[in-house]
Amino acid sequence: MPSILTFPFPAPHQSSVIPKTRAYQRRPENLPAGRRHAAASPGPPPPHLPPSPPHSRSAPVHRRVSLQSAPATTLAPGPATSSILSIRESLLSGERTAADITSEYLSRLRRTEPSLRSFIHVADAAAEREAVELDRRIASGEKDAVGPLSGVLVGVKDNLCTANMPSTGGSRILDGYRPAYDATAVRRLREAGAIVVGKTNLDEFGMGSTTEGSAFQVTTNPWDDSCVPGGSSGGSASAVSARQCVVSLGSDTGGSVRQPASFCGVVGLKPTYGRVSRFGLMAYASSLDVVGCFGSSVFDTATILSVVAGHDKRDSTSSSQVVPDYASELVSLDLLESKPLTGVRIGIIQETLGEGVANGVISSIKGAASHLEQLGSVVEEVSLPSFSLGLPAYYILASSEASSNLSRYDGIRYGRQVSADDLNDLYGESRANGLGHEVKMRILMGTYALSAGYYDAYYKRAQQVRTLVNESFKDALERYDILISPAAPSAAYKIGEKINDPLAMYAGDIMTVNVNLAGLPALVVPCGFVEGGPAGLPVGLQMIGSQFSEAQRVENPLNNFCHFIQGNLLRVGHIFEQTLQNLSFVPPLLAES
Amino acid sequence: MLSAAAASAIPRLRCATRPRLRRPSARTYWPRPFSSSSSHVTPAPAAGAGAGELEPPDLTRLANAARISLSPQEAEEFEPKIRQLTDWFGQLQVVDLESIEPSLRAGTTADSSLREDKPETFDNRDAIVEAIPSYDDPYIKVPRVLNKE
Repeated sequence: MPSILTFPFPAPHQSSVIPKTRAYQRRPENLPAGRRHAAASPGPPPPHLPPSPPHSRSAPVHRRVSLQSAPATTLAPGPATSSILSIRESLLSGERTAADITSEYLSRLRRTEPSLRSFIHVADAAAEREAVELDRRIASGEKDAVGPLSGVLVGVKDNLCTANMPSTGGSRILDGYRPAYDATAVRRLREAGAIVVGKTNLDEFGMGSTTEGSAFQVTTNPWDDSCVPGGSSGGSASAVSARQCVVSLGSDTGGSVRQPASFCGVVGLKPTYGRVSRFGLMAYASSLDVVGCFGSSVFDTATILSVVAGHDKRDSTSSSQVVPDYASELVSLDLLESKPLTGVRIGIIQETLGEGVANGVISSIKGAASHLEQLGSVVEEVSLPSFSLGLPAYYILASSEASSNLSRYDGIRYGRQVSADDLNDLYGESRANGLGHEVKMRILMGTYALSAGYYDAYYKRAQQVRTLVNESFKDALERYDILISPAAPSAAYKIGEKINDPLAMYAGDIMTVNVNLAGLPALVVPCGFVEGGPAGLPVGLQMIGSQFSEAQRVENPLNNFCHFIQGNLLRVGHIFEQTLQNLSFVPPLLAES
Repeated sequence: MLSAAAASAIPRLRCATRPRLRRPSARTYWPRPFSSSSSHVTPAPAAGAGAGELEPPDLTRLANAARISLSPQEAEEFEPKIRQLTDWFGQLQVVDLESIEPSLRAGTTADSSLREDKPETFDNRDAIVEAIPSYDDPYIKVPRVLNKE
């Protein structure tokens, strides 16, 4: 019996005045000049701009999701449902205890871990204790015992610091290291009641696309155990895909959340750069890194984003944009009108559907495009002129920044130390012993690109390409609300297939790196399958929006005006997911329960 | 090396007119390398680099600069891969980037403000100290620094 309870989505929060049944449109005078013609399309009159919903505050606070109670039903083939909501409902109604839910997930985790190896560290005893404690507080009638994420098991990528658990970054140089603090994203999840069940596997320090770069183990894909789960957040993706935990945190520097989401058939979100604090994320490339999240539904992913997003004084690159209740904007299927994406303009990036992309992937994306059209949107092909330049530019920038960021791993203040007679040798030996092959390569590459005499030729030129990429996205996103593409040129490939050919592995990042260069948000939603494995291999659709377009409204802090975003990422992704027919993204290994 | 499939997947760049590049004379400006007794590696030959004007990477110098001790076997293993990558990076040389401003970062954090320059006490100093491999209160112990020049 499938063990995930389903639950219909709630109606939007009662105090929101956003009308449920009208097409969302911007008021013409609030649109930038290039888009006014789009607002002239026929349809219902634009809604009056509502006042700020009470839950939009710049500081993240506990947010109660108001629910309509409804009976929980067992999973039938159908659109993805919210595990977070079903757990919350079960706890509030007393139908299940947190201990029971935790024990269900843990037994599934233990059963599948020998084959999957998603986790470097599992904190099962601590998880069980926290669940028992939560039950005690609920039973004693304590007010506010059930927070927004109470009872929700989360996996945390091992490059995010967790104070009471080892944090290795996937590297031997930090083997046994226990940080003195929680990463901000982890702290916020815990404050909302989440239970951190363990640290997930990754390519060392985020460098890689398969988890084969981990110093500890290779994670396998829940859809085919001879295939990679993707990377670098491969463990986080496979853990959610195999329902070993409800949601997970990852990081995305060049596609490290989106590509594994596509390979494992789960939802992956890369937020806008600055949306989520990077404090406590082991830095790889500081101008590109973001903390991202995985869920089995867009709704769950949006819920996590609301909890972790927001300004953090400890991260000077974090944004003060208000954090809305992202999930409250995602309405239930039965409340959607028949063409809910009317007025939304979508561009398929031409350069991502050509040579080098697997046929099965192209047809899945084209299928997704026509599905989006049936939902009322207009879908056209668009060309991004500097698209192909992004890949070498990304690797130059990322390697250069990594060579600087990883200089802190010197064996002196933390991590493994190899003793030596003099200081330089101590550095040299500790780093040689502790850092893996791919990491060393990228540090050496970065050192080269930044050396005297080479800065202009490499780093500066890469920065100039970055400007070109930013401009071409900006240009395209003035004409289209959302850009779509595959998240990877193929589905999951075999373990060992690309390990000796670095350029072949890097080539797979072509779909994702440009988004990091521009700092834009992107959501990956499973959209189809290709042949392979016992039940096919999943393919994800990547949706890219303008900055902060995860939300429906963006506030301009300078003048207190806010404007509606017609096709905001989470809403479009949610509607796409909920209307996808005849496809289930639960891997076959779960059917054996 | 590159398989045909991988080669076709790597984006091919349009060649703009080749700008005149100032040739850096790298050897004159680099600091003297530390003499490394244990891992001597012959530097890569200068001729035949794909990018043309730029000297190929000198692995010994780079490893020294990055403070990573490379064994001779490792250096041999790394050399062709690194050369392949720098050749690939070299494709950026032929693109016309005249009058394009370099971007330091994504343009999404224009609103980030600096916090007050006020020190705060961190409440878990013990955990920091516990993580130090070689500690002799209140000193972090390191071996001597040898000046080899």
